Amino acid sequence: MVAASSPVRVAACDCLTPFGDARATVAALLRGERALRPVPVRGVEGGDAVPLALLPGRALDETAPPAWLAPLRQLLAPVIAEGWGTARRPVCIASSNFGVGSIYAFRRGHGDAHRATGTPHDCVAWLRREFGWGENVATFSHACVTAHLALLHGARLVQAGGAEAALVFAFDFLSPFVAGGFHALKILNAEFPAPYQARATGAIGLGDGAAYAVLARGVGDFALAAHAVHNEMHHFTANQADGAGFDRVLAALPADGRRLWLKGHGTGTLDAGRLESAALARRFPGAPLVGWKGALGHTLGSCGLVELALALAAVRAGRTPGTVGAASPTFTPEVALAAFDNAAFDGVLCASNAFGGAHAALLLAHA
Amino acid sequence: MLERYLESLRTDDPGAEAPAATRERLKPRFAPGAARRMTLLGMMVGASLHELLGPADDSIVYSSSFGEGTALEGFLESFPTPSPTLFQTSIHPSAAQQALIGRQRALPELLPLAGGPELVAQAALAALLAPAERVLWCGGEERGTWLREAGLASDRSFAFALALTRARPAAPLARLALEISDQPGALALPAWFDLLHARRAWSGAAGGGWHLRLEWL
Repeated sequence: MVAASSPVRVAACDCLTPFGDARATVAALLRGERALRPVPVRGVEGGDAVPLALLPGRALDETAPPAWLAPLRQLLAPVIAEGWGTARRPVCIASSNFGVGSIYAFRRGHGDAHRATGTPHDCVAWLRREFGWGENVATFSHACVTAHLALLHGARLVQAGGAEAALVFAFDFLSPFVAGGFHALKILNAEFPAPYQARATGAIGLGDGAAYAVLARGVGDFALAAHAVHNEMHHFTANQADGAGFDRVLAALPADGRRLWLKGHGTGTLDAGRLESAALARRFPGAPLVGWKGALGHTLGSCGLVELALALAAVRAGRTPGTVGAASPTFTPEVALAAFDNAAFDGVLCASNAFGGAHAALLLAHA
Repeated sequence: MLERYLESLRTDDPGAEAPAATRERLKPRFAPGAARRMTLLGMMVGASLHELLGPADDSIVYSSSFGEGTALEGFLESFPTPSPTLFQTSIHPSAAQQALIGRQRALPELLPLAGGPELVAQAALAALLAPAERVLWCGGEERGTWLREAGLASDRSFAFALALTRARPAAPLARLALEISDQPGALALPAWFDLLHARRAWSGAAGGGWHLRLEWL
């Protein structure tokens, strides 16, 4: 595990979900709303209906060029004209899908135009051109901890890599490729997710998501106070049965008397949810734990930054949304099903997990 | 300027070798039965990386532009009944995970990068900025079939792994340095591999406003 003490601050941060920006999404979560809807897993080609949260008006099937460019441009509008993509102002991109929905569409005979955004580098090059970014772009891809790694690297660039500021940008948009894959793994099924709820069957939902954070020194009222990562490398999809991987990543984070609330990964699978909630309760006894993927679905490689933006918006709103979609009994008593006031807390721990037993966590605190 | 010493290096260039022959050549390097479930890229990266695995607190940087081309092809072909195995195998950074899960090798930090012309510079930057004393930088590509014909997979196979240290080792192979530059140009991953494989020096633009120097000692 690695604990990196970081004075790097969050100068700007926002996200995009089917509910809108971070503020609108937190408001919807506080109302207990769910963006997940039953959608045929293979889009126009049909299949079982599974819970997906797509941006308003966006179909699961990819268009050429991808229809999510316009909402991304709107998300990035406050920071897009700031000369990103140089060594002094680098961009760190996080995604697990990039344009793989375009490769799927190409394979299914929907036209050669889809090839232009298919590979990760072609997709990033296209975004760079569209957003006017230079060539200094680091592209990370490590499934569901990707955004944490991009944030960690962005912080290092500002601390020691000669950057005055770093733009960390994460995005993942659904397609039949990824929905079909998780459906084949049987964790995306007809059930809606209920994170941290002790029930007979586990299930996840998937969601469109994107987010950005500008990291800089001395600008912004919140800091990424610490990062931690750990990779079990025990099994491709399962965690170590004793939860040791969750314990190791959390042990690397300083608690130092802070009163925290916890934003967990909480996809809705049973084993991982049980292990994660138990490890969090061991490390931070009594700290309330929430997960938002029961409402938004799992936004995959972008989730770490999407949910960081939501945590930040929740702190600014003074109220933390509860674990929408879940009900009693929960795996641990710390799971907060209802919203709560957060003014008395000193910070937020944000955690994510991924295939291969990859674990990542960061501490968001007042600067 | 950021710099590290190159302590050790492994490269694998199958050249015109058929993929099946490469698999047979590398199979003895893995536990019985393990190779059957691995991709060609996973086997090549694993065989290179395994020889350099050292202290448990090493960090690993993984770099591949295309990743698992054949698993991706297989997964796409498996629709409308998609294969769960090919789905998880097709996800970046599967090759590094195959290599490390095969050894049950936990590690603190794995930084997997993708990317195009800027990939070498960005992976080098990640390796040089990582706080670990020893960083393993591995990567590679595997030659695709129908995705390659569409320009969506690599046109050659190769793999490399190198160990980078902050402190000068007893017998360093090379020194790797990176500094900010406004010089245009880029060093693509296959070209980087060729430099390593032939032990050739390099001093020039690596992409993204970075100048990379590889000096053999």
